[in-house]
Amino acid sequence: MAFFSRRRKKTGPADAKPNTRDSGQGSKKQIAQSLLLSPDLDENLRFLKQSFADCSDVVFREFLFAQREQIKLALVYVDGLTNKSQLSDQVMRALSLEIPAATDNTVITKANALHYVKMRGLCIHQVKETENLQEAVEAILSGDSILLVDGHATAVINGSRGWEARSIEESQTQGVVRGPRESFVETLRTNTSLVRRKIKNKDLKIESLTLGEVTRTDIAVAYIKGIVNEDLVTEVKQRLTRIKIDGILESGYIEELIRDNPLSMFPTVGHTDRPDRVAANLLEGRVAIFVDGTPMVLTVPHFFVEAIQTPEDYYEQALFTSFVRLLRIGSLLIALTLPSLYVAIISFHQEMLPTPLLLSIAAQREAVPFPVFVEALLMEIAFEIIREAGIRLPRQVGQAISIVAALIVGQAAVQAGLVAGATIIVVALTAMASFVVYYSGSLAFRLLRFPLMFLAASFGLFGLIAGLIVIVVHMTSLRSFGVPYLAPIGPLVPGDLKDSIVRAPWWAMIKRPHLVGQNNPVREASGMRPKPPQTTAQKGGDADAGRRQN
Amino acid sequence: MRKKIAILLLLFFLIGLLGGCWSRREITEVAIIMGTGVDWTADDRIRLTVQIAKPGDFGAGGEAGAGGKEPPAWVVWAEGKTIEEAERYLAMKVPRDIYWGHSVILVLGEEMAKKGTGMVTNFFHRSRGPRETMWFMVTRGEAKDILETHSELAKTSAQAAGFLTRMETSYAVQSREFAEMLASKGVQPVVTGVEVKETGKAHGPGQENPPVEKEVKLSGVAVFKEDKLIKWLDEHETRGLLWLKGEVKKGAVTVPSPGEPEKEVSIKIRRSSTKIVPEYDGENLWFNVMINVEGDMVEQQSREDLAKPEKIKALESAMAGEIKARAAEALEKAQREYGVDIFGFGDAFHRKYKKEWRELKNRWDEEFSRADVNIAVEAHVREIGLLTTRASTPEE
Repeated sequence: MAFFSRRRKKTGPADAKPNTRDSGQGSKKQIAQSLLLSPDLDENLRFLKQSFADCSDVVFREFLFAQREQIKLALVYVDGLTNKSQLSDQVMRALSLEIPAATDNTVITKANALHYVKMRGLCIHQVKETENLQEAVEAILSGDSILLVDGHATAVINGSRGWEARSIEESQTQGVVRGPRESFVETLRTNTSLVRRKIKNKDLKIESLTLGEVTRTDIAVAYIKGIVNEDLVTEVKQRLTRIKIDGILESGYIEELIRDNPLSMFPTVGHTDRPDRVAANLLEGRVAIFVDGTPMVLTVPHFFVEAIQTPEDYYEQALFTSFVRLLRIGSLLIALTLPSLYVAIISFHQEMLPTPLLLSIAAQREAVPFPVFVEALLMEIAFEIIREAGIRLPRQVGQAISIVAALIVGQAAVQAGLVAGATIIVVALTAMASFVVYYSGSLAFRLLRFPLMFLAASFGLFGLIAGLIVIVVHMTSLRSFGVPYLAPIGPLVPGDLKDSIVRAPWWAMIKRPHLVGQNNPVREASGMRPKPPQTTAQKGGDADAGRRQN
Repeated sequence: MRKKIAILLLLFFLIGLLGGCWSRREITEVAIIMGTGVDWTADDRIRLTVQIAKPGDFGAGGEAGAGGKEPPAWVVWAEGKTIEEAERYLAMKVPRDIYWGHSVILVLGEEMAKKGTGMVTNFFHRSRGPRETMWFMVTRGEAKDILETHSELAKTSAQAAGFLTRMETSYAVQSREFAEMLASKGVQPVVTGVEVKETGKAHGPGQENPPVEKEVKLSGVAVFKEDKLIKWLDEHETRGLLWLKGEVKKGAVTVPSPGEPEKEVSIKIRRSSTKIVPEYDGENLWFNVMINVEGDMVEQQSREDLAKPEKIKALESAMAGEIKARAAEALEKAQREYGVDIFGFGDAFHRKYKKEWRELKNRWDEEFSRADVNIAVEAHVREIGLLTTRASTPEE
């Protein structure tokens, strides 16, 4: 209900021209901002009907007050955005049938009707009054309903939002074995509530603003006061308010409009649909940007190492997590370099292979008609086609298509001698490796694979290494909201290495990541490493004493 | 500005085309040489024989190479005045790029080795292709025959010969090590010897006069003076050579059982080390060689209890005596008969007497032949095992 901050304008009666409305046919848009409601219900309704002309989903419902039939009421809302049963039970029925008689025998008149409606009649939790027509219009469009009472230049805004929404489901993009299953949905309030449920603290601030001249999309900026660096919040808000665009349909719009190095392939703004990840990011001192209409929440700043981190890492044992993270690093390298390494070694550096392997590959390649580069490139492209088709094609035909693709590309191509088995293995391994890290984290590597293959095919390992150097130089130059993208590895932040390509146990990660959490560096007490209790039993040899102490 | 950037980008991408695929060599365009042999022919030319893998016959899938017993390699040779010339003639017969990078062995025919290895190794050490880790060996016949043999276990005979050498049962020399020995005045080169052995196994059923299978077999070491082969050491003497060089890594020593001399006991060598200490007083030169060896008793034909300390002592002295005899045999042959220092005594001397070495190095082999050598062997038997006499042979 608090989303009007940008447009809210306290227009007292003094500075508004009372008669504007009557002549208000011309440039409605500008005038409407300062328009006030009229005490005359019919006039108000006429204006609203004019505003919502040709909007068939807007409902105008006029009815009479329960005991005083001369008092007319009108309810305006958008069909489908409001909770209809709530409206009919708690507004219509309450006001037109069941409003109780005042206990002190006060007679309900036109003059005090509004007071009665608000204080006794409406059984709705969130109620707000406005005298501004424009505010009333925006309330209607956001899903609230407004109640107009004849004789009062005030609209009562009922918080009766309720629309068809997807229920909270398991995360589709970042699943875990151990850890919470829930993921964000398309409704902003649900999303912020999911985070609020994890961080029950008044310092969790969720500031709102509206972006999109036409779509009027609600945006929420969340951070934890006292942990976050205030400059970062200011910077985020400043970058957000810079945005002047007709519509925001997904957080990706915002990501591209606020990110550093806009042409880089590497994501310097993180996104996730997992509340626990957002909560963890907030606790480390990051800022989260919620966008209404999408389950993807942006987090800034974003580091490269986050591509190999999953929420599960913090719930599973530290040693196992470290192993898996090393595995993910390896997978990223495979996804990036394996095809080019294969091309380079097969067509330039055969001496790098063990003799039996060389002979086995040579045997496979004997009948293949293309140079290894062409072959690998064709297979990579074929795989990208299958992958893209797999995302787009309808569920019903998915299985049939994937079988055909697997058969044609895998089996038949090798049997026909068009492709060497080793190439299939390389391409398949590359494809699998690119899925080990989460989807968006590997996009850059999927793309960079191709130029690297060109370099490897033209200059061998020399070209491959030159390409990798260029990539590393580029990554080192990236910044995400003032923080180096490759931190904590480049620049080296020794303390933060505890949670980078390995993870230390929780009792050892005493400080927040330095570059985002330096404002409030300590996150836990030190010396929490579990150890056997120091009992008198150990000193004196009395077993019972130890038990008593515990 | 934007136009300029576009042109620069375009030029940048065109650089790739200018370079082309520099030194690219597709795997299907190379002839992978598995083994190399060099012979000195009767008409005084160098014959270069190579064994080229036939990749199609190496099929891992199974459908390829299933028919017949045709070896998956092609042996082809060419002659020339130098190795390079022979290689160029070879290139006229081989329709692919000759690729040395995976050659496992470099084998020299006896005639070639006698003529001098300098004519051979120069090419292999200079050019970029061949590895310095190729196993270097000399055959008692023609190198070509070695490459034409067959192997039951390995795919090609070159690999078979390479694996045999690597097992370290004989003295193994890599191409680089040979060059090192050649460069040093304090040691004369020795090289693994191989020979062709007829297994007597018929090549295929149903054939009249079936050709007999031939396999490679290790056969002692070839002794060089400078780069020329002079003599051979047989397997027995090779063991002595290994003891003196401190190269014994595996093997066993068999001695008579202390209490029952007609029965034998085998001791498997766990580790050994050899130390050569030269002594020189300006006139007399002598060497103290200390061989330290540890082993486990692994086989016993006798029925006595060897776990007793005095029996172990006896076993150890018998073992020491056996090793000393072996070493002395090889030493005798090298010193008295061949007159070459193949053990590296000269290097040991060089390390201790730098000034004196300068005078002696040019006549080192003569000095070596006259030197006295004391061999001391310290042997330890570490484990006797738990199998006692009763468990291995039932009591009468």
